[in-house]
Amino acid sequence: MRLPSVEYLEPRNVKEALEMLAGHAGQAAVLAGGTDLIVRMKQRLVEPAFLVSLKHLNTLNYIRREKSLIVIGAVTPLISLLESELIKAHFPALAKAVRLIGAPSIQHFRGTIGGNLCLQTRCLFYNQSAFWRSGRAPCHKDQGKICYAEENSDRCRSANQSDGACALMGLGARVVLNSTKGGRSLPIEEFFTGRGERPLAAEPDELVTEIRLPVPGEGEGNSFQKLTYRSAIDYALVSATAWLAVKKGKISGARLVIGGAGASPLLLKEASEKLVGKDVRDKHAVEEAAKQARNHASAFMVDNLGSTLEYRKKMSAVMAKRAVEEALERCLGNSAPGGRKG
Amino acid sequence: MPREFCAGRPERLKGSDRMKKIPLMLNVNGEEHDVSVSPNRTLLEVLREDLQRTGTKESCGEGVCGSCTVLLNGFPIRSCLTLAAEVQGGEITTVEGLREEEGRLDLLQQSFIDHGAVQCGFCIPGMLMSARAFLNRNPNPSEDDIRKGISGNVCRCTGYSKIVDAIMDVAKRSQSRG
Repeated sequence: MRLPSVEYLEPRNVKEALEMLAGHAGQAAVLAGGTDLIVRMKQRLVEPAFLVSLKHLNTLNYIRREKSLIVIGAVTPLISLLESELIKAHFPALAKAVRLIGAPSIQHFRGTIGGNLCLQTRCLFYNQSAFWRSGRAPCHKDQGKICYAEENSDRCRSANQSDGACALMGLGARVVLNSTKGGRSLPIEEFFTGRGERPLAAEPDELVTEIRLPVPGEGEGNSFQKLTYRSAIDYALVSATAWLAVKKGKISGARLVIGGAGASPLLLKEASEKLVGKDVRDKHAVEEAAKQARNHASAFMVDNLGSTLEYRKKMSAVMAKRAVEEALERCLGNSAPGGRKG
Repeated sequence: MPREFCAGRPERLKGSDRMKKIPLMLNVNGEEHDVSVSPNRTLLEVLREDLQRTGTKESCGEGVCGSCTVLLNGFPIRSCLTLAAEVQGGEITTVEGLREEEGRLDLLQQSFIDHGAVQCGFCIPGMLMSARAFLNRNPNPSEDDIRKGISGNVCRCTGYSKIVDAIMDVAKRSQSRG
């Protein structure tokens, strides 16, 4: 498959990149690893006039601790996260999510964490070649007025299948965006619009430059779970991230996230609240939270990924439960004196 | 037609004739090549069409199968998803570059032959490149490690067992040589 014609820009630093994005706002796409963008360009899902390559922006390739935060540059390749002691020690959920993106032999060396965060929402009826799609009228995500995933839907029902986004939301990340007009930092929930047609809150002239994660304290733990048919090169049919904090034998804080359901990873407030205040041995509370997670996620799911809808709905509860249980184990490992579980 | 947040190409860029070619210097298998390519050409296209290095194969063209795997500075990348312009200044190794200087086959190539690991053969250049990069980083792998290491490469003949055996044999032999 050939790529559409495009002009290639190579900014030497972040300032130049932002100027190019501002100068060509709406007509330029940011090229980091390209493992998602190039495919979508080949399929003519996006035809930017300009590609702004980030290959010289080594200043955005870092993982370091800044006081109570761990900050990750947006252009950091996935392999660097996998090999980072900071990430392995504090965020096993993120380490696992990154390991499961694409395939270890390939995407990890090209793919970047910022690129994975910005992964476009996907749908079986949209992520197809131009020829495949030419047989019928365009869908909502393709500027049309039809949804092939759900009859009579007035909006796009594509799903966010990014493993990185699901994990980062569970970990309470903030996303730093920059443009020539200045910078802003959004809680990750606000970085996603929840709208399939345009799932990211980034403006066309904005560049994601950094991801900030709070360093977990004592008694905190996190876990990521992903359901796929294949063990590599597969998107999540449904995924879950849990972050929990335990104090004196009781759960004092919880964030439960389901991915692969809606146009944004879903931060499930009600399901999380079912855990707060409960004893760490309370198996019933975990079941209740998982049930609530399934109810909530089911409302967003339609039959548009590579598995039946009913199976994905059922498995959303299973993924949620596994994530909570593993996170809980890690909380307990983390509060034992001297012990820290990877 | 505008899609996503990208409003599409402006009128003046319609048609590939208006695309400016860019001069590139590509280092492939230790040789410098000066080429002039349109920015929308992938590394795979330039390798096969401009440099006649046809050992690298295109299969899916979407980054799913791994047939087009080449090494960039020793790391495996999918050449079908990498613009040629992105790899300027890097060292590219294709399957042609695996062969040792005296013309002998790489240990992996010989092992693939000895184990009968090649069926139709279309995935093999990609398999070899992934396996070479994997072994360079993990000289002492378990079978499970190898399976994970080549999990980005699809063999449509499903001949994975012998491929894994062939890689394992090379790993063992390099260890015994110390």
